[in-house]
Amino acid sequence: METLNFLATGFSVALAPMNLLLVLVGCFLGTLIGSLPGIGPINGVAILLPLAYAMGFPPESALILLAGVYYGAEYGGRISSILLNVPGDAGAIMTTLDGYPMSKRGEGGRALALSAVSSFAGSMGALLLMVMSAPLLSQLAIRFGPSEYVWLMIFAFTCLATMVGSRPVKTMVGVLIGLLLATVGVDSGTGVLRFTLGIPNFFDGVDFLVVVIGLFAISEVLALLEQWARNDLVITPVGKSFVSFADLVAVRWVVLRSTVIGFLIGVLPGTGASIASAVAYGSEKRMAEGDNDQFGKGDIRGLAAPEAANNASAAGSMVPMLTLGIPGSGTTAILLGALMMFNITPGPLLFEQNPEIAWGLIASMFIGNIVLLFMNLPLINFFVRLLSIRQAYLVPVIVMLTFVGIYSIHGDSFDLFFMVVLGIFGFLLRKMHFSLAPVILGLVLGEVLEENLRRALSISGGDWAILLNGPMTYVLAAATLTALLAPSLWRFWKQGRRAMPLEAE
Amino acid sequence: MYDRIFAGALLLLSGLIVWTAVGFDVPFQYEPLGPKAFPILLSVLLALAALWLIIRPSENDWLPDRKILVKLLSGLVVMGAYAALFETAGFIPATFLAGTAFSYFFGEKPLRAAAYALVLSVSSYFLLKDVLQLNVPVGALLGG
Repeated sequence: METLNFLATGFSVALAPMNLLLVLVGCFLGTLIGSLPGIGPINGVAILLPLAYAMGFPPESALILLAGVYYGAEYGGRISSILLNVPGDAGAIMTTLDGYPMSKRGEGGRALALSAVSSFAGSMGALLLMVMSAPLLSQLAIRFGPSEYVWLMIFAFTCLATMVGSRPVKTMVGVLIGLLLATVGVDSGTGVLRFTLGIPNFFDGVDFLVVVIGLFAISEVLALLEQWARNDLVITPVGKSFVSFADLVAVRWVVLRSTVIGFLIGVLPGTGASIASAVAYGSEKRMAEGDNDQFGKGDIRGLAAPEAANNASAAGSMVPMLTLGIPGSGTTAILLGALMMFNITPGPLLFEQNPEIAWGLIASMFIGNIVLLFMNLPLINFFVRLLSIRQAYLVPVIVMLTFVGIYSIHGDSFDLFFMVVLGIFGFLLRKMHFSLAPVILGLVLGEVLEENLRRALSISGGDWAILLNGPMTYVLAAATLTALLAPSLWRFWKQGRRAMPLEAE
Repeated sequence: MYDRIFAGALLLLSGLIVWTAVGFDVPFQYEPLGPKAFPILLSVLLALAALWLIIRPSENDWLPDRKILVKLLSGLVVMGAYAALFETAGFIPATFLAGTAFSYFFGEKPLRAAAYALVLSVSSYFLLKDVLQLNVPVGALLGG
């Protein structure tokens, strides 16, 4: 009952004209960003964040806009997967497997419509799970002390290291670089300046936005520059086919199962849409054993599963971000950083102290998904037409927006140069197969981790045993150990199966 | 090979961080850990990870040829110039130059690229400054 009251508060925030407009804009931009190969949700959110910040939106409005871009992109990614055989974003890789064969045989319209409905069902299902679980989780987390928080973050990094990226050690290096970047600047406990190299711009820390945009957007432009060749991508015609009621009935359990899988994987710290859709696809294929020879050739189940899962994971990854202050994916790490820029600390108290933010966001996601269903069914042809925007026109806009966004924060050219330098660094990291999301996670959580570690040890007077003290710390330590060992045990179990390398989205 | 070079750099970096952190002058401190311990802990972990990468590096599959290196470098030069001109020359001239260059890099003919960049820079200036009310530098050329 209480939840319904809070939800009503949320809708009163989300239905304010300004926020309603931002939901529309966010969903539109998200679908567009998701569908254009090259810029995924993480870049889209990164580029829009400084603009939203500089335009002086209240925090809940900025979050509603940026979150709209995030889950909107999970819808958009499928368009280029299905029509171009090029995933629009990392979460839509699995969608190409069955989506493209469908459009090849003239069922593009059916594939787009079915995946839109699956996406919608996945999102809505995950949102319901979110409404039920988020308050519970935040009530549990409210009793967490500093030791528990230290463990939570170690757990998050462990999940990230073992599940994301090419090699665990490379993910760990990424996290450590992020954590070390977070220590730059004046130390809040003692006022000591750390690692500033005497540069005044670093005295209050390395600016989060500059790092995010440099690492992601600028390095992406460099990667596009490297890959670019006069591309003759052929857009498969959408055709007149449409989803039938029988199709929807046929995939109803697939969608339901994939929604739950996607949500749970989304909630796990660090793992997002790409892993969720891969796991959902794999498990559906296994469940259909004996009848799965059409998978990969245009089976509607193989199309519905990853789409429901990647949308569900987008909602799922918001749960730990809002309730624990620990992001569930790379993009939510940026959303978390956005909240911190507005001086709002996400965590268990968010639901009590800033219900307009937590519940406003959740309510806006209900509205946003309805908007997205509308954009992706009747208006789909509009987005299909936008797919043919040439990179010669798109890239200058991306470069311009990154520069304008970063300059507008402090009005200092130093940030622009620093951003380009970070872009080179990010590009080289990519080329050596380091994922970039761990760096951002480390950067966002670094200060919180250090603060909690120092607080825990000042409670115990310097005794590290405080980290293993009380049932909750045991549970979290055991979870960390499981996350550390499970993948290698699993690999041992399934020896012979080739493990699929996954990238953070 | 790249892995080894990078790991070597990280090893050096973690050494430098420990060196710097040990040298912090902390005039007062209320808790046992202080500002030194966390960075030192992180650099020790980083050094261990770097050592592991030196012992077992991944194969490198990035072998850019001359053409790609030239492309990347010219992209970087344009971005550097954009950063340098953004404030001094102002948004419109800087965006015009950078926009022309990037449009050209991605396959547009020079004249059409310039025309596109001109429209983009002028229309974005008014859109960003007047509609979105962002801090966009006018620059010396246009009397800002």
